[in-house]
Amino acid sequence: MNILHKGKHATARMLMVIAWFVFAPFMAAHADNAAVDASESMTAMDWLERLGPALNMTSYEGVFVYARGDQVHSMRIAHRYRNGQVEERLVMQDGGSGEIVRKGMDVVCVLPDQGRIRLDEVIPSGPFAEAFTNQLMPVSQWYQPALMGEDRVAGYEVVTVDLTAKDNDRYSHRLWVEKETGLLVKSHVRDIDDAVLEHFQYTSLEITDDIADEKFEVQTEGREITRHLGAPEPQQSTVGRMTGWTLNWRPDGYMPAATPSSSNGKAVAFSDGLATFSVFVEPVKGLKMPTGASRVGASTVYIHEVEVAERPFLIVVVGEIPPETARKVARSVSIDDALAQRWVASDH
Amino acid sequence: MDERLRETLSAMMDDEADELSVRRLLSHDDQNEVREQWQRWQQVRDLMHEAPSASYSVDVAGAVRAAIDDQDIPIADKAEPVPRAGGYWHWPVAAMVTLALLVGFGAGAGWGTAPGDPNNALAFTGVDQRASQLALSKEEIALQRLDEQQLRQVRQYLLEHAQHNSVGAGRGSMGYARMVSANGGY
Repeated sequence: MNILHKGKHATARMLMVIAWFVFAPFMAAHADNAAVDASESMTAMDWLERLGPALNMTSYEGVFVYARGDQVHSMRIAHRYRNGQVEERLVMQDGGSGEIVRKGMDVVCVLPDQGRIRLDEVIPSGPFAEAFTNQLMPVSQWYQPALMGEDRVAGYEVVTVDLTAKDNDRYSHRLWVEKETGLLVKSHVRDIDDAVLEHFQYTSLEITDDIADEKFEVQTEGREITRHLGAPEPQQSTVGRMTGWTLNWRPDGYMPAATPSSSNGKAVAFSDGLATFSVFVEPVKGLKMPTGASRVGASTVYIHEVEVAERPFLIVVVGEIPPETARKVARSVSIDDALAQRWVASDH
Repeated sequence: MDERLRETLSAMMDDEADELSVRRLLSHDDQNEVREQWQRWQQVRDLMHEAPSASYSVDVAGAVRAAIDDQDIPIADKAEPVPRAGGYWHWPVAAMVTLALLVGFGAGAGWGTAPGDPNNALAFTGVDQRASQLALSKEEIALQRLDEQQLRQVRQYLLEHAQHNSVGAGRGSMGYARMVSANGGY
């Protein structure tokens, strides 16, 4: 159970740091009506701070839509916080049936037999690294926050907060925050031309403590897989470990974050508190990959190949960052000769 | 698809298609193409108008399907008996929505996209013309042309990246959405 305990710890810390999305201060809504009344005088930063503190601690159900590029998905979600534990159930609304049920750190996934989803790909294949620094990222250093006004989303009154990127190494965000709870109910990721690249939005929502228990039970028939979101092995927990390679440039404000759970520790993630990108470095094996950039909504995939010690290596940068930034990051990676050789050798 | 059919589709989006055009559209040889175009526009429209895109009545969809299958019977009579006005056939919202459901989301857009289906490349049509305006133009790769294995590998990268921001990282539903999206291949 030690692992379980550590897992909670590491996750809690992560949650605190990247508290941007979805979960909201339920506590604040109930305990702090004065704050709600004072919403008139709240600044953009005040609203952003409300997004984070009581992360996970709100209860709601609804349907949200997520769109990037040509892809649109909708999912039904039920989420509650009870006895210090998060319970959550997501049901795919498009195509085949599938669902993800989470109780605390336990995740059960039921996915359709047919289709292209590999079951083991959908839920985390391993423990999450002990991630992120212990402090909140100074988001306002890289984004200009501004209160844009009021609106209504899924029947709830919201305030609109803009986070405009201060440089070209990140995208701008617009957030729609529910007034009473601080729940994020809609968000846009926009590029420099103000085109919306990624769109997340509740189309129906009810914020309520009164959600029946069976709404958190697995209901789809099918193959189930169960995972426990545990803590990483100690030797894997080094934040920002880059074994055998160095990143010589990265955009201002991006700090090493979670180490991806796979790729034999040869991948590292970076975050500026809002956007993240991952860098994968690995020897080229059988498969020949094209090089260059591609985008899916706000996500860029940049693939770059280099020769080190007469061996080809693949450098892949994936993240919600502009293609030009991804390119610069990928091209700044240098692979250490000696380590590269040992690394290739150990792969065989 | 020719320009006229495209215009009809567009008019349908605006509730302004006349019945004849709609029938011509429905008898178009390549219904897949029509369906795809409609689906794309419908998605855009839904997002623009923030219309919900789930949980519509299946029965109504069935009625529309029957109407489309049996093209000898005037669609308007069978599915939605709405009087024509001003020379235009005004599509009721429900019919719009069910048609979207039928030809769009109902037509296998989703988890079960068939392997080998060229439409799988949809996932990567995000290869954006805009991006080519950047210094990248020469490096821009059309991932549509990736083979199955390469696509799979790219998805794997997207997925692993998405996982960092997902369940354990507390991004909640957004994280799930990115993860499923990375997996979907549609």
